[in-house]
Amino acid sequence: MDPRLKSASLDSVVLSGMGCAIGFPSPSEPYLKTPKNRKFMGKQDHLAVCAAGRALESAGLAPAALGPHAGLFLAVGFIPFEREDIDALVGASLAGDRISLRRFGTEGFAAVNPLLTFRCLPNMPAYHVSACFDIQGEYFVTYPGAGQFYAALQEAIDALNAGRIKIALVGAVADQTNFLVSHHYQRIRPEVAPSDLRDGAGFLILETPAEHSARDGAIRGRLLDLETAYKPHDPFSEELDPSEKFSDRALEGYFGAASLPVALATAGSGRLEHDLRTGDGILARSTWEIG
Amino acid sequence: MKRRVAITGMGVLSPIGLSVPMFAENLQRGVSGLGTITVFDASTLPSRIAGEVPWKGPIARDRKLTFALEAAQQAMTAAIACGSRPNGIGTLSLGIGLELFSLDDMAELRAGGEPVHKDPAARLTFLQTPSDICAHDLAHKHGLTAPPRLHVSACAAGTDAIGTGYRLIATGRSDWVLAGGTDSMIHPLGIGGFCKLSALSRRNADPASASRPFDRGRDGFVLGEGAGMLVLEPLESARRRSAEVLAEVCGYGNSFDALGISEPHPEGRGAVQAMQRALADAELRPEQVDVINAHGTATPKNDPVETLAIKRVFGDHARRIPVCATKSMIGHLISAAGAVEAVAAIVGLRGGWVHPTINLNDPDPLCDLDYVPHQSRDWPASVVLSNSFAFGGQNASVIFRRADAA
Repeated sequence: MDPRLKSASLDSVVLSGMGCAIGFPSPSEPYLKTPKNRKFMGKQDHLAVCAAGRALESAGLAPAALGPHAGLFLAVGFIPFEREDIDALVGASLAGDRISLRRFGTEGFAAVNPLLTFRCLPNMPAYHVSACFDIQGEYFVTYPGAGQFYAALQEAIDALNAGRIKIALVGAVADQTNFLVSHHYQRIRPEVAPSDLRDGAGFLILETPAEHSARDGAIRGRLLDLETAYKPHDPFSEELDPSEKFSDRALEGYFGAASLPVALATAGSGRLEHDLRTGDGILARSTWEIG
Repeated sequence: MKRRVAITGMGVLSPIGLSVPMFAENLQRGVSGLGTITVFDASTLPSRIAGEVPWKGPIARDRKLTFALEAAQQAMTAAIACGSRPNGIGTLSLGIGLELFSLDDMAELRAGGEPVHKDPAARLTFLQTPSDICAHDLAHKHGLTAPPRLHVSACAAGTDAIGTGYRLIATGRSDWVLAGGTDSMIHPLGIGGFCKLSALSRRNADPASASRPFDRGRDGFVLGEGAGMLVLEPLESARRRSAEVLAEVCGYGNSFDALGISEPHPEGRGAVQAMQRALADAELRPEQVDVINAHGTATPKNDPVETLAIKRVFGDHARRIPVCATKSMIGHLISAAGAVEAVAAIVGLRGGWVHPTINLNDPDPLCDLDYVPHQSRDWPASVVLSNSFAFGGQNASVIFRRADAA
């Protein structure tokens, strides 16, 4: 592992808040700045808003306008699609047992809820979180698994260290108990049974020490160590052997991209180590002191 | 101390060119790459036009994957033309489009259960090819050994990928980066989804004139497809290995509108912030920008707000800067847009010209800058700023400088 891939400047960030939302429906209502946006929101959007709101409350930053000094760094899981939406679309597009694109352009197309696009796009959770909490600073929106949460974390630390922002919301969200993602996890590594998939989101609030001490905030934990590496591989012929371990326990169910922030937000006091080898070649380790 | 970041390779697949020279020539001539959709039967959809890549080679499972592989190969070939490779740890920073499922596979699933193939490749490609597979294929083929940075910030993703790659090098976190974007939403679900949002032009009878940024008669964007890739490395390293420096990336900024889901902030707040952050990062004054490659989608709401935002950032200088819209010729490449438009910006910078905004016959009174209508213009420039503003309020700006201009 190249030493530069370690985050050398962990002392310059403070973990001041954590929050998560598990399962659905999640109580995002208190945080919705524009209730009319509810009609545009899918499960992943509600989960992300709820987890971000709880994390901000935990940090003593009552959900409020955060402004241009706050940034959002978010990993989003695979694109969700519910069976009934697919059935409506495909069923209306069939001619016999085959898809007719001409029918798709008339009946199939008409059968789709126009708001569906908003509810499944991977940049929409970032939109809703930014709009609910008035985050105008920089962003990094990535996809689709637990390895990419580490990329979000590293980019957040870089932004804080560089002084581009003072507060970072670092999170992940995964809507997985839907037809498309469930099918996906039967085809990719790790292979996960549908009954083990969970929907969840988790957020961490990181701040610069100066910002944190200026507002006399509480410290919720520390990031003690962080390393990432990558194994380039041919994704079409080489199947890697994924694993994920937490030092103190196992999460109940598989949270995909959101596993680490959910684990942190639900952990008790003490040290938590996370060791991740993903099916897409990312190796990551981190050690956290909570409480 | 920030390291200077050189561009030593470029590659592009676009509706108007399958190589950088062909793309540059057609940009300068103002050629439209838009036409009636041929990759699937779109004849009953409200919008039936797009900017297809005229690719005759094999499709490696997925169009955006094919485009990315080819554009990356072009960029790497250029970067190693001096006889050596960029040194050290390489990172991929890639804007990627949505994975769109196959309607035929879905019909098969409905008819007979849920097949899960044993062969690894079939497992990955039945129903849909996960978009991140593209990143791992590229990393494997080009020896990129650091965890990739994947960007799904929609229409801003290509610019975010280049900006993030620039930062990885500038801060010493990576030795070189393959950065860019790839996308193809010319698919029933892509075209159908945007039709549902009434976002697409319906000028089906005359595709070449359908994409009309800043024109009073614009009626939405036209989807395009393609890929753009850049090889980035520290300027010092590039010079040491005698690589040709095509340009420098010297500034990047992004922001959230934090307001509307499908319309820009009415005062262009997020766009202003993205441009101002890029300028501050580049340590440039607004008057030092010579050209702007606009987001310029040709949607009713984007174009006047982008114009307003440019005026707010550049003041009186805004009227002296040529502002061009590449989308007038190639359409909107979504996650690849910023990357392909970066290539457009750089070839113009190197050639001393600004490409035209075609189809601008009747300018919208709210769009009153110099958009270089119809014909390209000789315009020796040192600095070009490129904008990408996404549906969902994510805004990104990146600044390129001529290699000899610092």
